[in-house]
Amino acid sequence: MKNKELDHENIKQLLNHSVAQLDRPTLTRLRHAREQAMTRYAARSVEPVFARAGHAIWHAFGAQHKSRLWATTLLVAIILFSATAYWNHIAKSDTADVDIAILTGDLPIHFYVD
Amino acid sequence: MHLIRHHLFAFSITILLFLPAIAGAQTWESLTPVQQEALAPLSKEWNTLQTLQKQRLINLAKRYPQLNAVQKQRLHNRLEKWSKLTPEQRNRAREKFQAFSKVPLEKREQVKQMIRQQEAEKLNTPAVDPALTNTP
Repeated sequence: MKNKELDHENIKQLLNHSVAQLDRPTLTRLRHAREQAMTRYAARSVEPVFARAGHAIWHAFGAQHKSRLWATTLLVAIILFSATAYWNHIAKSDTADVDIAILTGDLPIHFYVD
Repeated sequence: MHLIRHHLFAFSITILLFLPAIAGAQTWESLTPVQQEALAPLSKEWNTLQTLQKQRLINLAKRYPQLNAVQKQRLHNRLEKWSKLTPEQRNRAREKFQAFSKVPLEKREQVKQMIRQQEAEKLNTPAVDPALTNTP
């Protein structure tokens, strides 16, 4: 009941009163701990977007070391597969022989076009 | 170490997503002088062409130094029209060309002669030497 009567100002006064009662070494240690916490917080907030994105995706695969290893292996496999598929597609779609024959042959293009 | 690992992970995914775009990034300025000469009629619209079409034209340009003067002229006359066709029309033209290549030589020559006559009639001029025909 008594707690409900305490407003923001009362709590502030109470805390200030309590702090005034602490001895100097304790205050120094508290200040030091606070500064360290603030430094860590600042360093974390400037963590680059890339790292944060990686962190998020990394954790999406689960916290187990084995899961992460699988995720990395899977990623490498996907990259290799995509690269191979892309270059195969380019190689397969090499129509240069036919194209050059159409474009330099003695029949006009519209003979081949509907 | 923790941060580096996350960096590498995110970087790999970015590379994976942009792989086709990175591989296909071919601007007119990045072409060699020979490729630019071969594809000169397309210099203005080059940057608007699709990646696959650019790749095909670059492959085509590799053959350019082996062409004779008449073939080079024909290529330049026809390139613009060729690039304006839809991919489906180009594929159909390739299929037709391959089908026509399988027709016996004698029959093929007859068809060619007929086409040349039609072209000559269209132009209202006498039939010319086939080697010098530059019809687009």
